[in-house]
Amino acid sequence: MPHVTFIHGISNKPPADDLLRIWRNALANATEPLPLGDLGVTSSMVYWADLLYEKPEEDSSAYEGVLENTAEAIDGAGDAPLPVPRTPQEAAFLKGLRARLTTLSDKDLATTEPPPVPAEPQGALERVPLPWFIKKRFLNAHLRDVHHYLFDVEFALPGKPPVRIQRTIRQRFVEALGAINVSSPHIVVSHSMGTVIAYDCLKRVGDCPPVDGLITIGSPLGLDEIQDQLQPGWTRDDGFPHEKVRGDWANLFDRLDPVCGFDPKLANDYRKSGVAAIEDLAVQNDGTWRHSATKYLRQASFCATLRRMLGV
Amino acid sequence: MSDDSTLDQLRQCADDTFRKLQGLGTESDLADAKRLVEELRNAREYPCMGRLAEAVSRHDPKDPRNRRLYAQYLIETGKATAAIDLLKPLAQRLPKDHAEFAEATGLLGRAYKQIFFDAGDKTSAGSREALKQAIMAYRKPFEDNPANTWHGVNLVALLARARRLGLRVAPDLKPQEVARKVVVALEATPENNRDEWFLPTLAEASLGLGDWDAVERNIRAYAANRDTKAFLIASTLRQFREVWDLENVDDQGRGIVAALRARLLELPGGGLDLSPAELHNVRAAPPPTDGQLEAVLGVQGPKTFQWWKTGVERAVAVASIRQQLGGRIGTGFLVRAGDFGLDPKDELLVLTNFHVVNEHGAGDGIPPAGAEIVFEAGAPNQLYLVERILWTSPPDRHDASLLRLKSPVTGLEPLPLAKALPVLEDTVQVYIIGHPGGRDLAFSFQDNELLDHEGPPAGKPQIPGVCRVHYQAPTEGGSSGSPVFNATLWQVVALHHKGGKLSMPKLNGKEGTYGANEGISMLSIRDAIATDHGRLPT
Repeated sequence: MPHVTFIHGISNKPPADDLLRIWRNALANATEPLPLGDLGVTSSMVYWADLLYEKPEEDSSAYEGVLENTAEAIDGAGDAPLPVPRTPQEAAFLKGLRARLTTLSDKDLATTEPPPVPAEPQGALERVPLPWFIKKRFLNAHLRDVHHYLFDVEFALPGKPPVRIQRTIRQRFVEALGAINVSSPHIVVSHSMGTVIAYDCLKRVGDCPPVDGLITIGSPLGLDEIQDQLQPGWTRDDGFPHEKVRGDWANLFDRLDPVCGFDPKLANDYRKSGVAAIEDLAVQNDGTWRHSATKYLRQASFCATLRRMLGV
Repeated sequence: MSDDSTLDQLRQCADDTFRKLQGLGTESDLADAKRLVEELRNAREYPCMGRLAEAVSRHDPKDPRNRRLYAQYLIETGKATAAIDLLKPLAQRLPKDHAEFAEATGLLGRAYKQIFFDAGDKTSAGSREALKQAIMAYRKPFEDNPANTWHGVNLVALLARARRLGLRVAPDLKPQEVARKVVVALEATPENNRDEWFLPTLAEASLGLGDWDAVERNIRAYAANRDTKAFLIASTLRQFREVWDLENVDDQGRGIVAALRARLLELPGGGLDLSPAELHNVRAAPPPTDGQLEAVLGVQGPKTFQWWKTGVERAVAVASIRQQLGGRIGTGFLVRAGDFGLDPKDELLVLTNFHVVNEHGAGDGIPPAGAEIVFEAGAPNQLYLVERILWTSPPDRHDASLLRLKSPVTGLEPLPLAKALPVLEDTVQVYIIGHPGGRDLAFSFQDNELLDHEGPPAGKPQIPGVCRVHYQAPTEGGSSGSPVFNATLWQVVALHHKGGKLSMPKLNGKEGTYGANEGISMLSIRDAIATDHGRLPT
């Protein structure tokens, strides 16, 4: 029977079972409903927020909050501190990634007053009409979580032994894909930082099991800073993970999503033998925060794409 | 623990305590029994509740709380006049400041109200008298203490109904003034003292003021809540339909009722009974606007309503199976021949249980020549006869008979079949539409929790070629031959064939029994037919 493996993105999340239920419900409540369970499609979630956050978000309604008046509702839960680079390479990476999101200085963001709206050029977050005290939480989580994964930082939560972030998440992803309850067609649905993890594993981890399809939503894989860290493995002409993805790769983006909006299309950057093979699909999420996973999942084009890949 | 197993335990506990009270019965047993009577009431387990309340009454005949709960059991099981005979002396002997006094008089009002609403002719002398008595019963406790807002809001509703009927009852009372007093009393309730009935009562009182915006706003405040309870919606729906007759007032009232009905069925534990005429009206009525659905049910309102409308359309293909010159003996539903690998592919057939229709009328079933089929919501005046049974499988296998009709069915759509059984994860619901026994003219939409099945990925079928499905037993039996639908898409996943209160053996090698209904997976029926006919479905 068909199976979907989900992998989530940055910031703290509700407990794994709750998050999986929320994502499944988003599909079941979509405009063109895709109730995985009723269609006989099993699903699982690769959960990694517990490696970087002490305890899960207990109020899952905040995660789903439609008012977007909390950090939890905009992928900023967990109060992550800004990462400290250990090498010039890491410093350059963080500087570059930060510049994609904002042109404001740390000093500007540290003031209690609303920071000045910069003249051109503006970063993606400047265009999001939300208070900066909320957006800053997202910014920190984004920089910290992406950095810790891509540079395989050894990280310890209070009272727990240190773990290598990339190594541990890769292990979880590979185990989830090879789990005994997984059968074909098997599709990976990844969001945000989860798209980087999924790609990294499918392209660069030798013992990663193959899948029948890949969907990325709100993905930062189009950014040069990310692509630079996916080498060796990634090249523009042979970036498609054809070694492990037997079928299609579809990428959904919203141009006003601050994570992917800067460079939303992937087809040109992840070609298969020099030929564009990814289906880039533009969507328009509602509200002011366009990066939300559940908003992408509710899109009719997302449901149609997943339905086609699953054959249901 | 699922609600189902909790209910099983409650019933078991009630049985044990009942047996103890039949014996020597200690003080502790009596205290347990009194607590259980209330728990059974909350779980709507009325037969069990009544039996235990009777046993308590024999040990402690003067306990006012138990007497009042006993009266409630009588009302809920259609014995309103007996309840009145019990409640009147109870109210007379209780001091006015006794906590049970207001409860008993309120319930007396409820009994009279029920008599009024059950009356076919609302203008008859008997029903008018019942309405008058109900108003008097609700009036006293509210006037004594305006904090008795549930008495007050019922008083408003009944006064409004009496005025619409042109009855001169309590002429000194103006419904709007009473409604205003109820709203004032409710708004004076400190926030931390507001119970779950606060918003439904405020919504109804707002209706008494004619303040539609407030009605919709207050309903939305609880109906749109993800964790709202089915009984709150059911209570509002009953009041708005039966007492306020809101569907016959105007489009706005009809829209609110339609929205509440949709929401009720969506909730765990929700269920609806509709007569064929009501189902017809629901189909024919113009749908509420998206704006109103959002105002009453929140942003998901239009989607919830669309889902409910799909369910209503599915009911059109559900038929009652009747014995010629006799009564209804089961349920069946319309399917497409091609879905079972049969020709002609677009021929419409009826699927029911073997134990409803079989070649020789074995067991409680009838032979095809003795069966009549009526689609009571879709074509109530058209009677179909059975030409022959195309395929059949006995009760210890698929318990199914696929019927070819003598005349073609036109104007009705067959039910779509699911391509898979639902995955057993979280709490999965399935829905049954059928004609349960005892309510011959009702369509019952029942929501049931899916408990287990023998399908993929973990199922271990015990009978070769047969895949069984278990779901929570409804409070009422019957419905043999009904379609069992998946929750979101209204596709048929199983053919319902039997139920067991507590004695259904569990599936997949699990030990023990539970209260469950059993259906047969449509996929296993389809595969069996395809195998017997040597072809695959198209």
